[in-house]
Amino acid sequence: MTAFYHIVEGLLIVGGSLFIALAALGLVRLPDLYTRMHSASKAGSVGASLLLLGLAINSESLPETLRAIAAIVFFLLTAPISAHLLAKASYTVGYNLWPGSVLDEMSRSKPTPGASVAESRSQQEFYTGKALEPAWRREKRIAPPKWSDLRKK
Amino acid sequence: MIEEYAKLFYEYAVDFGLVLLGLSFLLTTVRIIIGPTLPDRVLGLDMLTSVSIGFIALIGINTGFTLYVDIAIALGLVGFLATTAFSRFILARGQSGDEDSLESLPFRDPQGKSSHGTRGEWGR
Amino acid sequence: MTLYLINLVLALVWVVVTGSFTLINLVFGFILGACALYLIREQVGGAGYMQRGFLITKLLLFFLLELMKSAWRVAILVLKPKMNLKPGIFAYHLRADRDFEITLLANMITLTPGTLSVDVSEDRSTLYVHAIDCSDPEGNRRDIATGFERMILEAFR
Repeated sequence: MTAFYHIVEGLLIVGGSLFIALAALGLVRLPDLYTRMHSASKAGSVGASLLLLGLAINSESLPETLRAIAAIVFFLLTAPISAHLLAKASYTVGYNLWPGSVLDEMSRSKPTPGASVAESRSQQEFYTGKALEPAWRREKRIAPPKWSDLRKK
Repeated sequence: MIEEYAKLFYEYAVDFGLVLLGLSFLLTTVRIIIGPTLPDRVLGLDMLTSVSIGFIALIGINTGFTLYVDIAIALGLVGFLATTAFSRFILARGQSGDEDSLESLPFRDPQGKSSHGTRGEWGR
Repeated sequence: MTLYLINLVLALVWVVVTGSFTLINLVFGFILGACALYLIREQVGGAGYMQRGFLITKLLLFFLLELMKSAWRVAILVLKPKMNLKPGIFAYHLRADRDFEITLLANMITLTPGTLSVDVSEDRSTLYVHAIDCSDPEGNRRDIATGFERMILEAFR
């Protein structure tokens, strides 16, 4: 029976640390912030959860097992929220997608304030086309808020 | 017989896992150092928390000292709050300092006569 | 809700009667209580409760499976020597309208293969999703609509 436990734990350890290592490798290799976020939020949280599951199986007493399972649930609940918040913040502020991206329906729905009619038509043409021009959005970036405005809110 | 092999496999798995986790600490730190923008670095810190939680769990398995679970939970909470706070900071700060000039930074007055530090101080 | 409490009380009674307070025994008692309630479901009006419990369990299992698949796909993607990426953000029109359902859906989308929820529009009708392979946004939308959103709506409506 202990042999069974040892084998299961060993597999969980190997799997979890492999997933974490691949997430870290993806963090270095992938081209932009949003694709990196895929790697960190999925493979990273799955890897840490697998290691915590190994800890839950390893511990003999009930409270420790329950705490490890609670840690897994907590971790799986918070990891997507922080990824979501970071993506939303950096998109709102105006960090661009990778130039090789094929689609951006989010900026279509939020036309830049102050864009003239001619510009908005070219905006339409642009989005029916295939390529994304990163310099295009760089020109019409949303201005960062001022401290005084933030205080008023 | 099979018990011995299982134990051997388990011990090798722990060593292998420690090596891989150390490697991922290194790779994440590389991203934090070279990361061209602030959100990249924040993402690196978030990832560093996940790696640390995994590391703590592995140490807990290895030593059998299960009080480490509490540390993992606390670290997860702190990491989540840190990422949330950093996201708020990114929202408040705007994109300045990464590729733009620093004209729009709230700490600078429009004339450019800054009283709080220079470009180098706030730029990175 | 009342039936859930009754079920929990039945599980506790089982634990007390058998005299061993372990997690496995508690779960076993809970399942036994659910079976007992299933026998009298017509009398106590518990058909909806049974079905909802079943649907939530199904959603949970489906989610865990998708989670493992997504981690596996990210791992494969990262290991490929030549990454063929077509990332992009697509808009998804929500059928779920309660805050709780939208939160659950956004979280589950983030943890499933190739997608990451970025933002919800002001009127809470559209979810913006970043996909790592956005060459077929219609297919991605269909996957979400027939997968998670349908199951969430079935389980919590």
